[in-house]
Amino acid sequence: MASKPLKTSNAGASAHNISIKDRLSGWGQQHQLVAVETLMKLLTKPLGSAMTWLVIAISLTLPGAMWMTLDNLSQLSNRFQASGSMNVYLQPGLNENDAQALLREIRTRDHVAAASYISATQALAEFRDSSGLGDALDLLPENPLPGVIVVEPDLGAPQNDVKGLADTLKTDGRVDDVELDAAWLDRLHALLALSERIVWVLGALLALAIVLVVGNTIRLSIASRVDEIRVIKLVGATNAWVRRPFLYTGLWFGLVGGLLSWVLLVVGWLLVSGPVEDLARLYGSEFELQPLGAGAALVLLLGAMLLGWIGSWWSVFRHLHQIEP
Amino acid sequence: MSMVRFEGVTKRYSDGRSGSKEALSQVDFELAKGEFAFLTGHSGAGKSTLLKLMMQMERPSKGQVYVDGVSLNTMKASQVPYLRRKIGVVFQNHQLLFDRTVFDNVALPLLIAGYQPAEAARRVRAALDSVGLLGFEHRNPIELSGGEQQRVGIARAVVNKPKLLLADEPTGNLDPELSEEIMNLFLRFQQVGVTVLIATHDIALIERMGHRRLVLDHGRLYEHSTQHASSAGDDHGL
Repeated sequence: MASKPLKTSNAGASAHNISIKDRLSGWGQQHQLVAVETLMKLLTKPLGSAMTWLVIAISLTLPGAMWMTLDNLSQLSNRFQASGSMNVYLQPGLNENDAQALLREIRTRDHVAAASYISATQALAEFRDSSGLGDALDLLPENPLPGVIVVEPDLGAPQNDVKGLADTLKTDGRVDDVELDAAWLDRLHALLALSERIVWVLGALLALAIVLVVGNTIRLSIASRVDEIRVIKLVGATNAWVRRPFLYTGLWFGLVGGLLSWVLLVVGWLLVSGPVEDLARLYGSEFELQPLGAGAALVLLLGAMLLGWIGSWWSVFRHLHQIEP
Repeated sequence: MSMVRFEGVTKRYSDGRSGSKEALSQVDFELAKGEFAFLTGHSGAGKSTLLKLMMQMERPSKGQVYVDGVSLNTMKASQVPYLRRKIGVVFQNHQLLFDRTVFDNVALPLLIAGYQPAEAARRVRAALDSVGLLGFEHRNPIELSGGEQQRVGIARAVVNKPKLLLADEPTGNLDPELSEEIMNLFLRFQQVGVTVLIATHDIALIERMGHRRLVLDHGRLYEHSTQHASSAGDDHGL
C-alpha cells in the first residue's frame, strides 16, 4: 500500500491499492461507525424522534397486552379442563364382576387420576333419595338406571388425550356411552382461538402502521439531507453506502420503540396483576398473572427492529434513487 | 493513451415548449494522461454539462464518452460510484458539509472507499498539508474564509489520489491573488501525474498561465490556437 504523502507520491497510480482484507475490515468498521453514529444522533436529539418512538411503542403495546392477556387465559383454561370429569355409562345388565374388572382396567390407563364405580342399584338409591320419587320408582318393573364409572382425569392432562381416552372407552363392548363434560371448555377454546385471530389481525394492522410511521420519518430525514446525499454520491458513494445510515436509523427506531413498549407492558402488568390475584383469591384460585416471558420480550424487540428496518427500506427505496447529483 | 475522450458528443435538454435545447453539439476532444487544460466559454456555453458528462451526472444524447479508457455509455449504474472515485471534483460553491469538521469533510471520500481510519487520517493530513491547511482539521468549514473553504474542497477532491481532477469555476468567488494561488495548487497536482481540467472564465489568469485551452461557444468546442507550449502534452495528445 502506498504510504507516501500526497505531495511527493505519484497521485494517479496509488489510488486503488487497498487490499481485500483491509476493505472487509473497513466495511465492518464502517457498519459499526454508522450504527453508533445514527444511534447517537437519535439519542442526542430525543425530542425529534420521541413522537415516532411513542407511536411505535403504543402500536406494539396494544397487541402485546392483548397477547399477554390471551396467554394467561389459555393457561387458565388448561387448568379448567382437568376439572372436567367423565361419566362412563355401562351396558344395561352388565354383571357386577365385569363392571369391577372394567374399573380396574380404567384405573391402570394413562391420564386417569381416580375412578369410582356406582352400581345400578346404588344409582337408583341415590336417585330415590334426591328426587323424592320413591313410591313412583317402585312401580317400575326393573331398574332403568345403568351402572356408571366416574373417571377423574389427571390434573393438567392435555385435552386431546382426555378426549382420546373417552373415545377408546366408547368402543369397549361393556360401555354403552361416555359423557365428557367439556362442551363449555370447547366453547372457551373456540373463543380464545377467535380472540387470538383478532389479535393477529390487529397486530398486522398496527405493524403496517409502524412501517408507515418509520417510513415517513425516514422520508423527512432524507428530505432534510438531500445536499449531503448529493455530495457523498459525487465523491463515489454507492447506493448501499447512502442507504446504510437510514436503515440503521430505522432499526434503532424499532429497538427504542420496542423497549418502550416492553416497559409499558411491564408497568401494565404491575398495575393489573395485584387486582387480578385478589379476584382469583375470591374464587378460591391460586392464579397469578404471568408477565411477558423473556422469549416473548425478545420476539417483541426483534419484531420491532424488523418493522423499523422494513419501514426505512421502503422509504429509502422510494426516495433515495430520485436524489442524483 | 488518453484520460478523457469525447467522440461526437451531443447533449440535448428537453425544454417544455419548443422541444429541446442543445447544450453540446458534436463535441470531439481528448485529454492525454497527465495533461493540464483549461475549459473556457461564456456562461451557458456548456462547460458544466461537459464536466457532468465525465462524472456520469449526465448522459450524452449522442456520441461516446471515454474516461480512463472505459466507455461511459455502456457503464452500469452500479459502476458509476467507482468511476467517481477515480475523479476528484472541485466546485465553485465547494459543496462542503457544514454539519461536520474540515477533517470529516476531507475524509469522506476515503471512508466511502473503505480506508482504515488510521490510514485515512494520515491521508487527510497529507491532503490538508498540500493545500496549506494543516492544523485546520477540527474547525468547522463555516468558520473559514472563501479561499480556505475552496482549498478544503480541493483537499477533498485530491485526498483519494484521483487520476482526473475536474474543477468547475474554482476561483469564481475569489480575488485575483487567491485565484492564482489556487491555480498553482492545481499545477502542483498535475506535476505529480494527475490529469487536470479546469472550467473557468477568468481569461486574464489563463493568459498568464499558458497551457492548453478548450473553448466552448454555444455548445461547440474549439481549440484555442495561441497556446503556449506546456510541459504535459499538446492539442492532440502525444
